[in-house]
Amino acid sequence: MHRLYLVPTLLINVVIIFIPAMLTIALAFCRWDGIGVPTYVGLANFRALATDRVFWMALGNNVIWTAIFLTIPIAMGLLAATMMLVARRGSAFFQVVYFLPVVIATAITARVWQGMIYSPLTGVAGLITRAGFPVPNPLTLPSTALYGIAAVDLWHWWGFLCVIFFAALRQVPQEQIEAARIEGASFWQMLRYVLIPGIRPTITLMMIMTIIWSFLVFDFVYILTQGGPAFSSEVLSTLAYRSAFYDLAVGKAAAVAVVISLFGLATTAVYIRLQAKELDQ
Amino acid sequence: MDRRTFLVGGLGASLVPLMNRFAFAAGQPVSWWYESAAPAQQAAIADVLVGGFNAAHPEYSLAVDYRGSELDKQMRVALLSGNGPDVVYTAGPSYVAPMARAGQLLALDDYAKKYGWNERILPVFLEMGRYDGKLYAVPKTYETLGLFYNKAVLAKNGWKVPATLAELEALADEALKAKLVPFASGNAGWRGNNEHYVTIVFNSIAGPDNVYKALKGELPWTAEPFVTAIDRLNSWWQKGYFGPDYFSLETEQFFAQMAAGRSPMLPSGTWHFQYIQSYFKDNADDCGFVGFPSADGLGDPVYALGVGSTLSIAAASQNPDGAAAAIDYVFSPEFYSKMNSVWQGEWNTPLEDLSMVKISSEVPALYAESMKALADAVGDNKYGYTSWTFLPPATNTQLINGIEEVWLGRATVADYLGQIDAAFREELADGKVPAVPNR
Repeated sequence: MHRLYLVPTLLINVVIIFIPAMLTIALAFCRWDGIGVPTYVGLANFRALATDRVFWMALGNNVIWTAIFLTIPIAMGLLAATMMLVARRGSAFFQVVYFLPVVIATAITARVWQGMIYSPLTGVAGLITRAGFPVPNPLTLPSTALYGIAAVDLWHWWGFLCVIFFAALRQVPQEQIEAARIEGASFWQMLRYVLIPGIRPTITLMMIMTIIWSFLVFDFVYILTQGGPAFSSEVLSTLAYRSAFYDLAVGKAAAVAVVISLFGLATTAVYIRLQAKELDQ
Repeated sequence: MDRRTFLVGGLGASLVPLMNRFAFAAGQPVSWWYESAAPAQQAAIADVLVGGFNAAHPEYSLAVDYRGSELDKQMRVALLSGNGPDVVYTAGPSYVAPMARAGQLLALDDYAKKYGWNERILPVFLEMGRYDGKLYAVPKTYETLGLFYNKAVLAKNGWKVPATLAELEALADEALKAKLVPFASGNAGWRGNNEHYVTIVFNSIAGPDNVYKALKGELPWTAEPFVTAIDRLNSWWQKGYFGPDYFSLETEQFFAQMAAGRSPMLPSGTWHFQYIQSYFKDNADDCGFVGFPSADGLGDPVYALGVGSTLSIAAASQNPDGAAAAIDYVFSPEFYSKMNSVWQGEWNTPLEDLSMVKISSEVPALYAESMKALADAVGDNKYGYTSWTFLPPATNTQLINGIEEVWLGRATVADYLGQIDAAFREELADGKVPAVPNR
């Protein structure tokens, strides 16, 4: 009888996740313009992706994006959270300040950075340039466009990690921290031997989620550059979006979506394995 | 609140969405989804389109719903599920054929006969809305590309309006020396702006006859005329004609750049007429517009023909007669006069006879003159082809995005045109190339 309680959530999952997921997988093997009737084409969409240089550029950009978000915001979040733990005064204020960008809608954050920071006409970059120190708009150069977008997302994202890590750090037994202090541990020793091991499950979960989210990144890229200039900031999700809604190649878009999901699945499998290992210990 | 009140209130609230269907007193509802429009433009639609139509047709009640830049995607999903509005607004002729093939649109031939559209609309546009011998769409507006220029900047520097490509390049070089950006341009707000420049060189340098042959599949896009055209466009980019901030500027920003005198010229489409009064303010006469100069041997400027959006009726429409009446209203000289008096460039319906049209004296005469020049070019069969009207979707995406690779040195002209040709061949084989009227 108690299993009936699962029905509502199961139903929601089947309707909202399982059926669309299955349809997407099926469409990846079809040619479809999003309007007429799909026709089965086997692996043609995947073969086309394998020879599509834009697909490989997008995949490479997703890997770079993942590397950036696995290091910089996690390091920044950890450092700021630890400092808030050590120097408790004002920690509530800093938590609010760090978390504030997370609650601003991504579209607004992106437009603010585009217009008020990066723009050569209306932004800080333009102001500095007019003062005699030329600062290019990073979004307009193929070599920096992806990093320019990543900087906006980092500003928006790292506060979230900071607050999560701070909440986890507060669960580290106080006696361990006190003991380390009495033993004369420095800040870095405390971080390395007490705090990080104490919140390792949280860090692992955040890293896993970072990998999954990095392969899903879309909003900032689409608003700031639409994948340009010259495909330099194209990622898999913008490629899928463009294929589905501009090229009317829904089958190809579905194939890209399947590739994105494969990375998410692989990461989830690693996480489940790690969790199982921890439980065994 | 007791339980009964709650239930009655809840039931009443749940019926609100159905009220529209049973609004007998206000006439049979006709729904129309529109893209984004600024507040002043929405006021024009409410007054001229909705107000005008409902007053002329009390038996119907037209309602316009703004869906923003995602209209096209929402429309496709809605039609796929058998829903959506009565009046179907598509992003251009290339979307009409797949929708008609999927049975989502109603054939308009009977309405065309009833309302006399075949006599009132320029025949070329009716050809573009046909699929499998039947009429499925009529264009909401047609447009062309040309060269806007700032008369005050030209006069101040003693420059002449360019009539040839050599004069255009000489003027641009002089502008560079004067620390001006020769072409006010940008694509930060709409990456598709790239295609305006490719379309210009395809028509004004490669020539409309070659574009026509390529659209018919008789000439590859890698042919020499197209190579010459893209080479020339690339040379303009490399010389800095488009300025250092091309990827940073949005449409209104670069129009303001020309109005402020920081650029002498702006090569783009007639929809920019809507910005003249906002940015030139009391000096609206300082804004000039001419056809883009053509390469030697092509003669007069080529007006590339563009249809940015089309109107159809949904096959699942509950009120196709009302939708047809609304479309017919848009093709009246009265509507053309009123709408183009307050909003230029977006409602240039392809009327065969413009003699009954009376546009407000507050609108720069330049607008009416330019539209007449385009109508004459279409009437004389001397028009060119815009990419967004005549190319199939994936080819057009390649044309838009690939040109950035050429400009930024990440692809050669041959690679770029080769990719366009490959995408076009595939879509031609799939029957995705829009109807191209005979030349």
